[in-house]
Amino acid sequence: MINEPNSTFASGPSIKIDGETIFFSEGETIYEVAKRLQKNIPTLCYDERLEAFGGCRLCVVSVEGIRNPVASCTTKATDGMVVQTAPPEIEKMRRTLLELVSSENRDTQPNPLSGFASQELSALVNKYGARNGRFQGAKSGTSNFKDANPFILRDYEQCISCYRCVRVCAEQEGDYAISVANRGFKTQITTEFDHDLRDSDCTFCGQCVQTCPTGALADKKALRSAELPEEIKKTRTVCPYCAVGCSIDLMTKGNKIVGAQPAMKGPANKGALCIKGQFTFDFIQHEDRLKKPLIKQADGTFKEVEWDEALKAAAKGFARAKAKYGRHSVYGIASGRAPHEAAYTMQKFIRAGFGTHHIDNCSRA
Amino acid sequence: MVIAENDLDLINRWKDEPAPLLPVLHAFHDRDGYLSDEALRTISKSLQIPLADLYGTVTFYHHLSRNPGGLKAPRVCTGNICCLHGAHDILQDLKDQGSEATEMPCSGRCDTYVPVLQGHQTLSGTTAQSLQAHPSPLPPDYPGSYQEALFAQIREPGRNSLKNYPFESLEKVLASTPTQIIETITASKLAGRGGAGFPTGLKWKAVADCDRHPKSIVCNADEGEPGCFKDRTLMDYDPFALIEGMIIAGYATGANRGFIYLRYEYPETNALLEKCLAECYQENLLGKDVLGSGFEFQLYLRRGAGAYICGEEGSLLNSLEGKHPFPRNKPPFPVTHGFEDKPTAVNNVETLCAVPKIIQNGPDWYQSLGLGEHAGTKLISLSGDILRPGNYEIPIGLPLKTLLYDWAGGPLEGRSIQAVTMAGLSGGFLGHQILDTLTLDDPCIRSHGSFLGAGGIMVFDDTRDMVKAAHDAMSFFAHESCGKCFPCRIGTQRLTERLGGEIKNLSPENWVTEVNEIGETMKTTSACGLGMAAPHITESLQKYFPEQVAKATQNAFQAP
Repeated sequence: MINEPNSTFASGPSIKIDGETIFFSEGETIYEVAKRLQKNIPTLCYDERLEAFGGCRLCVVSVEGIRNPVASCTTKATDGMVVQTAPPEIEKMRRTLLELVSSENRDTQPNPLSGFASQELSALVNKYGARNGRFQGAKSGTSNFKDANPFILRDYEQCISCYRCVRVCAEQEGDYAISVANRGFKTQITTEFDHDLRDSDCTFCGQCVQTCPTGALADKKALRSAELPEEIKKTRTVCPYCAVGCSIDLMTKGNKIVGAQPAMKGPANKGALCIKGQFTFDFIQHEDRLKKPLIKQADGTFKEVEWDEALKAAAKGFARAKAKYGRHSVYGIASGRAPHEAAYTMQKFIRAGFGTHHIDNCSRA
Repeated sequence: MVIAENDLDLINRWKDEPAPLLPVLHAFHDRDGYLSDEALRTISKSLQIPLADLYGTVTFYHHLSRNPGGLKAPRVCTGNICCLHGAHDILQDLKDQGSEATEMPCSGRCDTYVPVLQGHQTLSGTTAQSLQAHPSPLPPDYPGSYQEALFAQIREPGRNSLKNYPFESLEKVLASTPTQIIETITASKLAGRGGAGFPTGLKWKAVADCDRHPKSIVCNADEGEPGCFKDRTLMDYDPFALIEGMIIAGYATGANRGFIYLRYEYPETNALLEKCLAECYQENLLGKDVLGSGFEFQLYLRRGAGAYICGEEGSLLNSLEGKHPFPRNKPPFPVTHGFEDKPTAVNNVETLCAVPKIIQNGPDWYQSLGLGEHAGTKLISLSGDILRPGNYEIPIGLPLKTLLYDWAGGPLEGRSIQAVTMAGLSGGFLGHQILDTLTLDDPCIRSHGSFLGAGGIMVFDDTRDMVKAAHDAMSFFAHESCGKCFPCRIGTQRLTERLGGEIKNLSPENWVTEVNEIGETMKTTSACGLGMAAPHITESLQKYFPEQVAKATQNAFQAP
C-alpha cells in the first residue's frame, strides 16, 4: 500500500513537503512520500520495481538543516523533516543536468514504439526547456548495430548510463546477462566479453527495452512500423501464450498490430514478459496463418473445409487408429497455451475417450 | 623449470578467505601476465559471480590487463608533478623503443619522479634511459621546533623489522577495557586523517555500540589522491605501527577481522606488508589468540587494481566484496552497514598509525601537539616546484609559509611560488595572493573555499601555465570518475574539454557561464566527494588567475 498514491496514514511520524504535513511509515523514502502527495519529482534512473540507485541526481530535494540537497529516491524520510521539492535553485540544476545528458547523445526524441519508458528523457527535456546545443563535446557510448538478434536494438549512442537495463536484468529477471564496462564517460553497457546478446545469458525477455528511458535499447520489431502514419493505440489484454496470464498492451496502428508492451501494473507480471509475450505476435496477422481447417487429400494436397467436416474426419481417423492398433496407440499433448479448463477437458478426452493414460502437457517438456 | 600453479590451486588458496575476488584476480593476472577469457570463466564459476558482472568489473580497474603481456607493459606516471618532469617524453621514448608503455594516473611517488611501474617493480628517473629502482625516500630530517608523533621514530634504521618494534601499546591495550581505549582516543581528538576529519573515537564507538557481527576494521591504504604519498612512507618504514593500530581498533570495537586495502601502485609495500603480516601471525600478534589474551584478530591484505574511486569508502567496500566499485548511497554508513553489511570502521593509514602513539603517550600529549586550539599533527606530502619536496609532519595550525620556506627551502632559485594545491587536487588551487596568511588547519583553509584533505600539497612556481595545470587536474578526475552519477560522469568530461580549449566556437563569456554552471551543479548534486570536489579546480583557477583564464579563452581557445 506504500506505493499507492493518495493512501495516507492517520498517525505516526510525519514530514513536511512543500509546506504540507504528511504522515509516513518507517522505511519510506522522501520520493515515495512525495509521490503520494502527487509531487512530480523528475527522475531518469528510477524504476519503482528496482532498488533505488541514486545515479541521475534529478530527484534531489532540499532538506532543512542539510547543506547539500539529497537524492530523494535513496533518502529515507525521518520524523520532522522539512523538504522542498522544487526550489528555483534546484530546478535550475535539474535543467543543467538535462542539458548535460542531452549533450552526450545524438538526439533526445526517440520513436515512441522504442519501448514503454522511451519518452522519459524527451518529456523532461521538453518540460524543463533544456536547451539543445549547450555543453557540447564528445558523445558517449558506442552503438552495437551489428548485434544480429531480431528483437533488441542496441543504440548506445542514445544511452545515458542510468543502468536501469542492467539492474532490471539482475533484480527482476535474475539473468545478469548485461553489465557495466569501463568507467566514467567511457562507461558502456556490455555483455560478457562484449559478445552479442544471443551468445550471452540473455533470454530476450525485453525488460531492459521497456525500462530504457531514452530508446537506446529499443524494440526492433515494433520499430519496423515506425513509418506507418497512424497514431499508436494501446489495448490492454492478456498474453495468449501460457496460463500465467501476463497483462500486455497490444500496440496497433490502424488495423495492424505493431508491438506488445508489458502492463507495468499487471497483477501477474508487474511489467515483466517473456520472449514470446514480448516479441512473437507476428503470427496473428501473418499471411500464412490458417484461418480454416484443412484436410490432407490422397494426393498430398490440402483441401479447405468447414469445422464440422474437419471434426468428423478427425474422429474417424482416431477411431480407425484405435481399432487397428489398440487404445494405447493414442497420445495426447495439451498445449501450454490452454487454460486449466481446456487442459482438464483434454485429459478427460484421452483417458475417458480412448482409455489410455498417454496424456501430457507441452509445458513439461 | 617453474611449474605454473593450476587454476584450482589459485582458487583454493583464496576462496575460503573473506574478500576473495581481488586476490584471485591478481593470482591469475600474475600467473598468466593478463586476465584471459578462460581465467574469467573459471573465476566466475568458482566464486559464483555472474560472468557479465565480473567482466564489467575487471574492465573498471586501470591495472588489470585483458591483453597477453599486459601486466609487464610499463606504465608511466603522468600525474601533475610528473608531467612537469618529462613524463610524456619518457612515455614516448619507451614507445619508440618498441614497448607497449601506457600512462597511469598519479602513482603516489611525487618525491621520486618519474615512476614507471613494470610488472611488480617501480623504476624511476627523468629520462627513459635513467630508469632504475630507488628506495622509498624517508621523510627529511625534522626541520621544525615542534614535536613529531608519527614520524618520531620512523627514521630509526630497521624500524620495519619485527625485532625492532615492541608492540608496547598493544600490551597496554589488552590489559584495558575496550571502553577505556575508545575514551582515550576520543579524548585525544584524533580525527580522520584521510581527509574527512570525522572524530575517530566517535566512529569506533558507533561500531562498538552495534550488536551485529562479525565486525571489521578496514584500513584505507588506497592512497590515490594525486600528490599524496605519506601513507606509503608510513607503511614502508613503520608498517608495524599500522598493524598495531588495527589490532587496537579491533579490540576497541569488538571487530575480529581487518583488511588493509592497498593501492595497486605500491607493489614493494605490498610485498613488505605480506612479510610483516606473516611474521605477526607467527609471533601470535595476529590470529585466534592475540598475545594469549583470548582476543581474536585476523588481518588480511588486499591489493587494489587501479581506481581512485576505491579510496571512497563505499567504493572501497564494494571493491573488497567483489562488487562493481560504485560508491554506496549514504546513509546507512559503514559504522552500521559496512563490509558485507556489518558494522565496519574504515580508517586511513595515518589515523591508525597515530593510535599506538596516543596509547603510549596519552591523549593530552597528542592533543597538545597542535598549535592554538588545534589538536594533533598532520602529515603533509609536499611536491612540485619546491627545493625540498617530501613528507613533513606538521603541528595542525602551522603557517603555510613556514612549511614552504623555512622547512622545505622555498621555490627553486630565481622563481616565486604562484600557487599550491590543497588536498592533493581535490581542494583546488590557492593563489600566491593568500599564501602568506594561511595556516594549515581546516577552519582557515575552508574559509578560502578549500580543505586540507589527505594533506597533499603541490607547488607551482611562476613559470607554470595554471590553465594547463587545471586541465591536467581535471583530466585526472574525468579519468577516475566512476560513472555512477550524471553530474560527475558528464561534468568532469565537459570541464576537461573546456580547460583544454577543445570546444572551438565557445565565446569567452559562454565559456565562463558553462564552466560555472557545470561546476555548481557538480558540487551540489554529485553522489560522492569526487564530483563535489572536482569543480574546486575551475573555481579556484578563475578566482586566483582570472588573467590567465581570459588569455586562454580569448586567444588560445579561439584558434582554429
